[in-house]
Amino acid sequence: MEEYFSYTAKLFDPSQVAKKPEILKGIRVLDFSHVIFGPTATRLLANYGAEVIKLELPFHGDLWRPATYWGKYWKHSNPLWHFVTQNKYFVGLDLKQPKAKEIIYRLAETSDVVAENFAAGTAEAWGVGYTQISKINPKVIYLSCSTYGQYGPLRFYPGWDLLAQAASGVLSLTGYPNTEKFYKLPDYLGDFIPGNFGALAILMALYFRHKTGKGQYIDLAQSEALMRLLWHFTFFNLTGKEIGRTGNSDPTMVPASIFKTRDGKFMALACATEKQFAGLCSAMDREDLLKEKIYTDPFERLKPANADALTKIAGDWLKSLDAEEITKLANDKGFPAAEVMDDYQICHDSWRRQRGSVILFNDEMYGELVMAGPSAQLNKTPARTKWLARPVGYHNRLVLKKFLGMSEEEIEILEKKRIIGTFDDRPGLKPPVYYNLDEDPIFNYGREGKK
Amino acid sequence: MSGKKEKEQVYARYVASGKTVQHLASWGKTLAEMMNPEGKPEVLDDILVLDASYSNFSGIIAASFFAEFGAEVIKIEPPDGDPARKMTPFGENVKGVGIPFMVEGRNKRYMTLDLKNSEKDRKDFAKLAEKAAVVIETFAAGEMDSWGLGYRQLSQKNPGIIYIAITPYGQYTDKARQFAHFPDADITSQAGSGLPAQVGDPANSPEPYNWPLKAGMWAGWYMSGLSAALGGSFALIHRQNTSEGQMVDVATMDAYSSMVGFPPTIGYIWERARPRIGVLDFILYPYGLWKCKDGYVVIAAPRDHDFRALLKILGLWELEDDWKYTADRIPDVVDQAMILYKAIEEKTVRYTADELVRKALTYSARAARSKWRGGGVPIVMKVMTPPMTVESKQFAIRRIFQEVQDDTLGKFVINTNFVKMSESPPRVKWVSCDIGKDNEYIRKKYIQEE
Repeated sequence: MEEYFSYTAKLFDPSQVAKKPEILKGIRVLDFSHVIFGPTATRLLANYGAEVIKLELPFHGDLWRPATYWGKYWKHSNPLWHFVTQNKYFVGLDLKQPKAKEIIYRLAETSDVVAENFAAGTAEAWGVGYTQISKINPKVIYLSCSTYGQYGPLRFYPGWDLLAQAASGVLSLTGYPNTEKFYKLPDYLGDFIPGNFGALAILMALYFRHKTGKGQYIDLAQSEALMRLLWHFTFFNLTGKEIGRTGNSDPTMVPASIFKTRDGKFMALACATEKQFAGLCSAMDREDLLKEKIYTDPFERLKPANADALTKIAGDWLKSLDAEEITKLANDKGFPAAEVMDDYQICHDSWRRQRGSVILFNDEMYGELVMAGPSAQLNKTPARTKWLARPVGYHNRLVLKKFLGMSEEEIEILEKKRIIGTFDDRPGLKPPVYYNLDEDPIFNYGREGKK
Repeated sequence: MSGKKEKEQVYARYVASGKTVQHLASWGKTLAEMMNPEGKPEVLDDILVLDASYSNFSGIIAASFFAEFGAEVIKIEPPDGDPARKMTPFGENVKGVGIPFMVEGRNKRYMTLDLKNSEKDRKDFAKLAEKAAVVIETFAAGEMDSWGLGYRQLSQKNPGIIYIAITPYGQYTDKARQFAHFPDADITSQAGSGLPAQVGDPANSPEPYNWPLKAGMWAGWYMSGLSAALGGSFALIHRQNTSEGQMVDVATMDAYSSMVGFPPTIGYIWERARPRIGVLDFILYPYGLWKCKDGYVVIAAPRDHDFRALLKILGLWELEDDWKYTADRIPDVVDQAMILYKAIEEKTVRYTADELVRKALTYSARAARSKWRGGGVPIVMKVMTPPMTVESKQFAIRRIFQEVQDDTLGKFVINTNFVKMSESPPRVKWVSCDIGKDNEYIRKKYIQEE
């Protein structure tokens, strides 16, 4: 039989990804969502081939377009926004106008999924909520994303990722004990993780619809999605105690901390099992520890006093070695260890490039950009990046002509009345300065006299 | 309050009109009924999932999601149990079972098979796999394959099988081969995928507070488990369409960077790593934590009109001129951003969290009904601890916590109903997790020939 890693290398060969079939080909998603939470759910569908039509307010666009890191742009775009909006169709449509609503209802007829993350009640108020859309399309799967959910006394409370982190209890968990400081989870994780839950719920609804023909309504609260990640509630319920903040140590295994090495690097090290603990003791040349009951019984070992003592022993040992030596020992002796990786290392790590979990993507409008690849690699129907974000209204013509059969004349009238539109001359909304939209065949889809 | 029911308040401009308020009041009631999970069908009631994960909660968590959506999930472990049973905060356990394992024991069957050592048990596993839709495993890359239980062997008899493998470095590439036997843990997944590098105080702060800091929860394992369940669900859709299975490979060292996407793109564009900036945020401001009289509040007022509203409710209007625009407030120069941080803190410490929340909500409710205020929504929220959320009326109405009971483990509360679905919601049915408790049931149902 073929050697395992040579077999898997063929199975997952990143150069073949673009040629493989897409799971959600033919699934149409009408996407009202903005910023990160809702767009992450629909982005995941777009990665697997769904046709996601992202609706934005003409001339303004998504709130996150202009909000960049340190206020800096990349080719007039928000570089981080490309990840969240890859593979989507960008349509600028002014919901406030009755004619725009007609267009939306027509798109909704042929849509499989609708997603929104306005403040609770807003989609209903605007006539594009589940009550209205399900009348047009009873088989629709409608995802509403919000901070607290669509019912309950807090439903109208405004919220963002940060508020969901606060309301769920997550925010109270990161930081050092006996200090006054809490740290939020970085990079709007309180949006990204719930966004993944949104995609999961939609897939379950699609699976259910395939079996029964029924669509459904999904009410996803980001605070509740975050609560699914905590066993702290049960801990409190059973012990009457709080776990609180435990600094850099994981209270569920020991040692399990982030330590500083001799060469000044930061290293996470853990012992999740007896075997791993024995491996570490052997690496430290401290097999004597394996003779003491307080260290051999895992529940005893985890008691704070014993855990602290072991953490100190491990910390002192790590201080005497370089990160590379520790990694080698961990691999030989079989305990988990990993250097704390930063942005630069993750970007340039050759393993990630080979794997396809970090990709150098070449886009027709923006050129080369390094971005994250999928969290899970599927060998037959992998996720892929096909294009990056586009200026507001970039796909107006393509979507209205191809999907709704509208004529150029109809579209020009809509443009004149500002029912549909593109972008203001602002960074974040407009194309790169070198890019000539007049010659872009997609932007000018089906237009006479244009290439 | 006078015993009368408090009128529901709105804080967004678009839902403030009379007709809409009325519609939403009845819609809210309809929803509360519509989203009740009781008696509803389960999406995955037609599939069998085998969870052979070993000392790795990513696999256990992925299996939980399938179980909550109705799949028959069999957790397979050696006769002495999965070491994951013993990973628990401070060693707290109920009859030898750790709390995370109890929490993730939802809706599962338990069977003992010694895959590492017993040829006979491997045969039983192969028989089970003929009937399974999904297999989850976290052994060393290639280990199941060497036992004749890898994807290429199982898929010969069962081409529809979805084989989910979770390891630190995945199933392919040179690094995966070199570190094939590297074990996994939550903290290493966090560190290796880029999360702790973003948390902690600025470089000039005292040690260890300027070190990278881990998230105070199993962020690495939960993200990996969620990614595995999501990848598996995509594969289930493909299987439903074509009857074809496939392999799903999750590397826990990708957990954070592939979840948020920031690290590789920032490393590329700025050609350096971000520094840690404590309680500030890189993009939005104000967007973080502030001390108050009785603890901490979070404040989010990043848009200009939200910021103006915040200044008004805190009595800081004189600052408006200096910090007017988002671009003025972006913390690209941390020292400068700290000036505004301290100015806000001087005010927040004078009020309790409840007072600040009330101030913000009162303002927002008025702003929602007023044209001239421009709809500024300064958001303030108390930092809730897990025990505080258990008391919350909101989460009670939405059935986020459920009391469960088991003969061995007794009564306890777990988190559930993480998403509400009108037709086929996830749910928790039972939590028992005795080692080998379903051996007989499983053998009868799936292994013995009739």
